[in-house]
Amino acid sequence: MKSYLLSPDKILTFVKELSRDGSLYYPVFEEGKTHLVGFDDGDEFKPNFAKIRTAENIKGFFFPSRDTVAKFPKDEVRPVEKRYLFGVKNCDLRGIDVYDRVFMGWEPVDPFYKERRDKTIVISADCPEPEDSCFCNLLGFNPYGDSVSDLNFTELPNGLLFEAYTKRGEEIIDAYKNIFTEAKDADEKERKALRDEAIKKLNKINSKPFRKDLPARVEAADKEKIRNARDECVECHACLHACPTCYCFLLSDYQKGKDVERVRIWDACYYAAYARVGGGANPRSRIDERFWNRFQCKFDFFVKYENIFACSGCGRCLLGCSSKIDIREILWNV
Amino acid sequence: MERINPYYPIPVKIKKIIPETPNITTFILDGKPIDFEAGQFAELTIPNIGEAPFTPSSSPYDDDMEFTIMKVGRVTDALFNMKEGDLVGVRGPFGKPYPLQNFKGKEIFIVGGGVGFAPLRSLFLALLHDLKSYKKIYIRYGARTPQDLVYKRLIPEWQKIDRVDLLLTVDVGDESWQGRVGVVTVILDKVPVDVKSSPTVVCGPPLMMKFSTQRLVEAGFKHENIYLSMEKNMSCGLGKCNHCRVGRFYVCKDGPVLTWEEVKDIEEPFL
Repeated sequence: MKSYLLSPDKILTFVKELSRDGSLYYPVFEEGKTHLVGFDDGDEFKPNFAKIRTAENIKGFFFPSRDTVAKFPKDEVRPVEKRYLFGVKNCDLRGIDVYDRVFMGWEPVDPFYKERRDKTIVISADCPEPEDSCFCNLLGFNPYGDSVSDLNFTELPNGLLFEAYTKRGEEIIDAYKNIFTEAKDADEKERKALRDEAIKKLNKINSKPFRKDLPARVEAADKEKIRNARDECVECHACLHACPTCYCFLLSDYQKGKDVERVRIWDACYYAAYARVGGGANPRSRIDERFWNRFQCKFDFFVKYENIFACSGCGRCLLGCSSKIDIREILWNV
Repeated sequence: MERINPYYPIPVKIKKIIPETPNITTFILDGKPIDFEAGQFAELTIPNIGEAPFTPSSSPYDDDMEFTIMKVGRVTDALFNMKEGDLVGVRGPFGKPYPLQNFKGKEIFIVGGGVGFAPLRSLFLALLHDLKSYKKIYIRYGARTPQDLVYKRLIPEWQKIDRVDLLLTVDVGDESWQGRVGVVTVILDKVPVDVKSSPTVVCGPPLMMKFSTQRLVEAGFKHENIYLSMEKNMSCGLGKCNHCRVGRFYVCKDGPVLTWEEVKDIEEPFL
C-alpha cells in the first residue's frame, strides 16, 4: 500500500478543501482534554493529533443521542449532511466497527445509521501518546487506525503521512494529488518507529494481558465475584453513555403539533426499568444483575455474535466513573 | 419512505372493540396492515403515547388483524380509552413464527394462562386452517376466575370440533362454574399425548410459565419440543436496541418463542 505525505504547510489547505465539500471536525486540545470541533474557514486552525482520543465519544456522528426516526401518520425524509471527521483514534474506529455490525451487518439494515455512515468520511490519526486510562492493547488493538477509516495518517516532523483503507480514501488522495507527495522509505520507517514506541508505552501501562478464556470466565462468574465487582457502583450510568461501543436505544414518541414524532434515544442497561415489561416483571431488577449484564454483553455475548469484544479499550468508562471503578481490574480478576 | 423505514408504523383504524374480561379487550383492526405467521409479533403504536409489543390473536389467514390485550400500563391504559374508528399504528412482523412444518402429523399440546391465551388463539386458528395435517390439538387453558377467561363466546364452538380437546380451569370458581378449579397445572396432571414426539406450546404469566414448564418436563416432553413465549421489554423489534435480550438471545429476533432447550440454563428465564 502506498503512503502519501502532506507537508506541514499544506495541511490547512487540505482541511480547507475538504471543508468546502462537507462540514469538517478535528481535535483541539483545551484545558487538559481533547474535543472534536467544527472547522470554519477563517478560524484559527490549532489541531492536536498527538493526544489520545477526544473526551466525548464520536458515536453521535452516526447514532445521535436523540434522533427522529419516524413521523406518524405521515413520514418524511430527513436530510443528512456530508461530514469529515479528521483525526479520530483507533479506539473510536473500533466503536464504529461494532456499530457497523449491529446497524448494517445484522438484518434489517438501519437506514439512518447507514446514511450517516455513507455520508461521513472518517480520517483517523495515529495515537503516539497513550495515557494511563488506555487499554486498547489488552483487546488486541493497535494505537493507530488499521481498518474501518477511509484514510489514516501519522504525524511526522515533515508532515502527515497518509494511507488509504477504502476506495473512498484512495479517491480523496487522487483528487488532491497536487498537494501530496509520495512517501519515502525514511518516512515509513519513521512511522514504524513511532508506532512501535506507542505499542511499547501501552504494554508498559497494561503489562498484564486479559486471560484467553475471558468470555467463559465472564459467563461463569459467581455471585460473590459479581457483588465484589459492582460494590462501589452508584449507578450514575456514565460508563455506558461514554462508551463508544454501547448501542442500546429506546424509541420514544412525542406529540409534534398534530403529528407524532418518534425519537430514538440512547439508553443504558444500568437503568432499573430498562428491561421491565408492561406487566411489571423485571429480569434484572437487582443492580448486581444489571452491572454484570454490561460485562456479559461486551465480553461474552458479543463475542458469540461477532467474535470480537464490544469494547475498544478507550478508557472513557473508567475516567467517567463516579466511583473510579476500573474495568481492567474487574476483567483481570474475573 | 414507508417501505424502507423499519421504525415507521403503518396507520390503521380500530374497526371493532370487544371486551373479553374486566381488564382484557380484543381490538379488531380495519384490515391487515402487515402479513404475519402465527407466533410472530407486532409493535402497536398508540399515537402520542408510544408503542408496545403484542402478538396478534387472529388467524394469519383472516382479512382483519386482531389483538387481545390486557390493561397493564401506560400504553395499554391509553389504548383502552380509544374508540372504534380511532387510528393506531402497526409495525412488524417481528420474530420467528411457530415451526408448523415440524408440527405436521403430530398431536399438539397447547397450554395457556390468562391473557397468554391470545397468541395461542392465533396458533390454534392457523392449525384449524389446515386441521387435516395434524393428528389432534389439545388445549389446556386456565385463568384466575371464570370472569377472567377470554374468548368465552368462542370456546364452546371450539370444543365441538372433532380432533380438538379443550379443557379449562380457574384458580377460584363461582356459583355457576361447573369446571375444574385450580391453577393450570391441575389440568396438566394427565398428558394424553405421545410426549416423545409431540410439541407443546406454552404462553402465560411468568409463574404459570415456570410451573407449567416444570410439569411438562416431568411429563417427558423433549426439551426442544417445549415452545415457550418469552415476555420481554421490546423497543425496536429489530434485534438492535438490546432491551429484550435474555442470555444471548434477542427475544425479538430469535424469539418471541424459544424452546426450553434454549433457555433452561438461564437463571429465571421467565422473569
